[in-house]
Amino acid sequence: MHAITALQYALEKQGLRPIVYVTQPRLADGRISKMPVVTNLTASRALVARALGINDHRSAAAIYAGRTAAPVAPVVTTTAPVQEIVIKGDEVDLTALPALTQHVGDPGPYLTAAHATTYDPETGVDNTAIQRCWIKSKRRMTYYPYPASHNNRNMRKFWAKGDDCPVVFWIGHHPAVLMGTQAKLGYPQSHWSACGGVIGEPLRLVRSVTFGDKIMVPADAEIVIEGTVPRDVLEADGPFGEYTGYSGPQVAAPVCDVACITMRRDAIYHDYGSGLTDMLVPDNMAMEGKVYSIAKAVAPALSNVYVPAQGRRFHAYLQFNNPGPGEARDAMTAALAYRRLKLAVAVDDDIDIFDDNEVLFALATRVQWSRDSFTLDGLSGSMLDPSTPMGAKTHSKMAVDATLPLPPSPGAPRPVPPRSAVPSDALEAAAKLISGVNTQGWPTL
Amino acid sequence: MSRAPEVLRPGAPWEKTGNASWTQCGHCANWFPVGGELLARPQVKLHCPTCHTEFLAADAARLIKAG
Ligand SMILES: [Zn+2]
Repeated sequence: MHAITALQYALEKQGLRPIVYVTQPRLADGRISKMPVVTNLTASRALVARALGINDHRSAAAIYAGRTAAPVAPVVTTTAPVQEIVIKGDEVDLTALPALTQHVGDPGPYLTAAHATTYDPETGVDNTAIQRCWIKSKRRMTYYPYPASHNNRNMRKFWAKGDDCPVVFWIGHHPAVLMGTQAKLGYPQSHWSACGGVIGEPLRLVRSVTFGDKIMVPADAEIVIEGTVPRDVLEADGPFGEYTGYSGPQVAAPVCDVACITMRRDAIYHDYGSGLTDMLVPDNMAMEGKVYSIAKAVAPALSNVYVPAQGRRFHAYLQFNNPGPGEARDAMTAALAYRRLKLAVAVDDDIDIFDDNEVLFALATRVQWSRDSFTLDGLSGSMLDPSTPMGAKTHSKMAVDATLPLPPSPGAPRPVPPRSAVPSDALEAAAKLISGVNTQGWPTL
Repeated sequence: MSRAPEVLRPGAPWEKTGNASWTQCGHCANWFPVGGELLARPQVKLHCPTCHTEFLAADAARLIKAG
């Protein structure tokens, strides 16, 4: 039941982030599934960057921001691998999918990499977001579009007209496409075009079997589940182990009655380890792009952004190249307006933002807390944040300026002590020396 | 001394200010930090850590004093 997720935790504990591919997963009822499971596909930043054609994950923020700002329209095809197999009506069996029960407290198997695609009935514009789905029976699952989400908005519009809401869930694709569809967009704004911008080519779409061109689906996905969300029907969903690393409470969720499942002949089931780097990395990298574009608009000296998985989705490190007066604070104020972020830390470009030791060094040596930090109360945030005060609808956020003061005049040093360093040639020689030493057999200290 | 010492003054209470005084060696043009206690004794020569020239603070190429 929990074996595959446990494997991800055990690997993570050792700092290992390989892709996990299971050829004979056991289903919730004990049967062995013929469909393999892939998970941990996006646990490594390096691997996700490579999938996007980016050499170094540390340069992804600006590149991702640039690509999402240059959308590429999708193309429609009629030859879709994802429709090689079409299962309709009573033949549909969600319980045959090797969906995992991940955490203690989860009530059953969940689809965790299901991209729910709906459309705005007023404009016809598509929206896509990953939404958890609890498989309750062969043809019914709950799914949970967060109240503030665009999919929830679309569903409410259909319901307000007295209609059921059409929805498709697609699972499994090239990691670049998974990243592309996570772009943080306005409403209504097509995720297909944004995805095309991210992957640098038009995304191949095909008409869904049930809804035709009303809802298109990625032609090269692994699995598609098509159904309707009956008006005003809500069922209990959860608890569910969330990205916060805590179990989110049971909620009243809409249901999807499934009309059709299509898949590749050799379909692979994709699972995201919820709350693990597997799920945090792609979303956080997309966040980096968004935060970069928001903050760069007010602070041209911003050079990079990192949303570390160890801060879940709540922390961002902002790096600057000689920020002018007020610039770091301007950037952090803009960044904190972004939904889930609740801590922004500004550092100079001598600090490696991808190394927490370096960021802590800057915090320890460049910050007087009352002078260099400020809090902002009453901003929107994540209601899943376990520290949210009782009854609160908004959050308290903080910015810390850990940059150095500016030089008093051109050519003069900054008015602070210089950072200790050894000459770079000596450092290189030392690293070379160590690399040739066999440390096997050294005592564990 | 080619010019008068420059004195840093704090800005608004929320603005970052440093606490270090720096001097520039007139011989090699390198900068190094000097403490206020040393600068308070103008007869004690400063010692450039790069070229090892000794000079009085009054003869520094530049002297930027914190506070
Ligand atoms: Zn000198």
